[in-house]
Amino acid sequence: MMAFAKRNVLLYFRDKTTVFFSLLAVIILIVLYVLFLGEMTFKGLPDFPSKKALLTAWFIAGILAVTSMTTTLGSFGILVEDRANKTYMDFYSSPITRMRLVGGYIISAAFVGFIMCMFTLLASNVFLFISGETALSFRKLLEAGGSIFLSVLASGSMVLLLVSFFKTSNAFAAASTVIGTLLGFLAGIYIPIGGLPDYIQAVVKLFPVSHSAALFRQLLMDDLLLDAFSKSPAEMKQAFKIDMGILYEINGRQTSKLFSVLYLCFTTLLFFGLSLLVMKRKNK
Amino acid sequence: MNKIIEVNRLSKSFGKVKAVNDISFYVEEGSLFSFLGTNGAGKSTTISILLTLLKQDQGIVSVNGYTVGKHDLAIRQEIGVVFQESLLDPLLTVIENLTIRGSFYGMSKLERNDAIIRVMDVVDIQSISNRPYGKLSGGQRRRVDIARALIHKPNILILDEPTTGLDPQSRKNIWETILQLQGTTGMTVFLTTHYIEEAAGSDYVVVMKEGRIVAKGTPEQLKNEYSTDLLTISTNMENELRSALVENGVKFKDEKSLFYLPLEHTKDAIRILEEFTPYISSFEVKKSSLDDVFIAINGKVVDQDDGIRKT
Repeated sequence: MMAFAKRNVLLYFRDKTTVFFSLLAVIILIVLYVLFLGEMTFKGLPDFPSKKALLTAWFIAGILAVTSMTTTLGSFGILVEDRANKTYMDFYSSPITRMRLVGGYIISAAFVGFIMCMFTLLASNVFLFISGETALSFRKLLEAGGSIFLSVLASGSMVLLLVSFFKTSNAFAAASTVIGTLLGFLAGIYIPIGGLPDYIQAVVKLFPVSHSAALFRQLLMDDLLLDAFSKSPAEMKQAFKIDMGILYEINGRQTSKLFSVLYLCFTTLLFFGLSLLVMKRKNK
Repeated sequence: MNKIIEVNRLSKSFGKVKAVNDISFYVEEGSLFSFLGTNGAGKSTTISILLTLLKQDQGIVSVNGYTVGKHDLAIRQEIGVVFQESLLDPLLTVIENLTIRGSFYGMSKLERNDAIIRVMDVVDIQSISNRPYGKLSGGQRRRVDIARALIHKPNILILDEPTTGLDPQSRKNIWETILQLQGTTGMTVFLTTHYIEEAAGSDYVVVMKEGRIVAKGTPEQLKNEYSTDLLTISTNMENELRSALVENGVKFKDEKSLFYLPLEHTKDAIRILEEFTPYISSFEVKKSSLDDVFIAINGKVVDQDDGIRKT
């Protein structure tokens, strides 16, 4: 299984177009943010200390959540291609069980997602350092690494369920484009979640990627929030957190870091279970 | 001889289409077995069932004592396959492809490395081992495909149209490799091909059409049953030759100055040529071939157990 996972990782990184397209949604987000989104969001917020630093951390958190999804999606593209090119016939005629093959795809997607997110995190940290902001401490980086791992698993399980329905590379590429665009909204980057209508917010909160973004925001913005709202009423700080998707309000209760972690664990198990069910039914 | 593959009353349908319709045959251990048929004849479906990629609707298929559907993993260990399409990863090198595929067979790293060296030696691909598979020529890819199929020392090598799309020289080279392999290892080779002449050296041939077996036997048996040697005579004295042939009770067909005489035995040509020498401008004796058999097989079915039967 590990050799098979290694094969998938090699194929992902050797195909430069796969790497590029799995980062395309993130690249577009960065470009839009630099061009106008950043300024728009900045102007839309009231003035408080460390506003720019807070917004940068908020954006980096969103980018990490999106990267965890798009890179696992790119890696699972190898599964779709294997199906489309009939490469699976070579695997299925060998004495390796289908479950081990699926395990190989999952491990490789998790590995690719983790490496790419860690790269994004480290590059962001370098950017923070160069732009004169406070870079993340080693402890924060470790915590972010753990959150990346969880986020990648949650995204990977959802993508696995999704790819089990695709038979052609073209259909998968088209779906990837749509998903890449949607992710900007689901992670609350294009428009902070507080700016969306209530019913849309309810839908967004169902997707694990929104909870990944919330978890990353809580991790990366905690210290900055203390500084920014030290002289403001607690209600203002809470309202800011809810508007910016740092935490969510579900049934009148505010979510926490633990809630986000548990939600991600729950959706990981749910989507893996559903994927296995779908695959078993298809194999019959 | 031991029957290494046994197919008994196998059927498989896709919706209303009967892809394989109640077929039976066996393959002897160590033999070169050819499975012929036009596109849509049911060859690929049968092979997919043999490879445990598809489940049959009816019938029993066993491979070296293991039953398809019950001992699938053991069967996959028995078989090495060269698929019609190249199924290795174009972005990986030859050695990476072989290493990854070798890992499917439960070999230790040491065993796997030994196996890779062995198969690269057998098909002579050491010089291209570090090149990406996607950058190789068609002939080189086929050699790598064969190496991949042999990595676990299978008892049976299934070749699904292994030379399709290759130039004549590459085809010749691939065939030399396959025959040499069979000769040295005693491996059973199960071949499907569109090039009928490739099946001429087989120990046994099965021909499928529309999901059924329409002929089976050794190439000689099939040639005797379905085709004859042919003597073609060219003449300037058409009327005289026609009269002489009719007078002597010789069967023929003519077309302008060409006369076609079917021969029961090739040697019969000598007697005919001597007898009708004055009328002959030139001649040609053509041995019957499996191509003729393939073309001739129309409107005939075969008794599943006892051999060929005309209807």
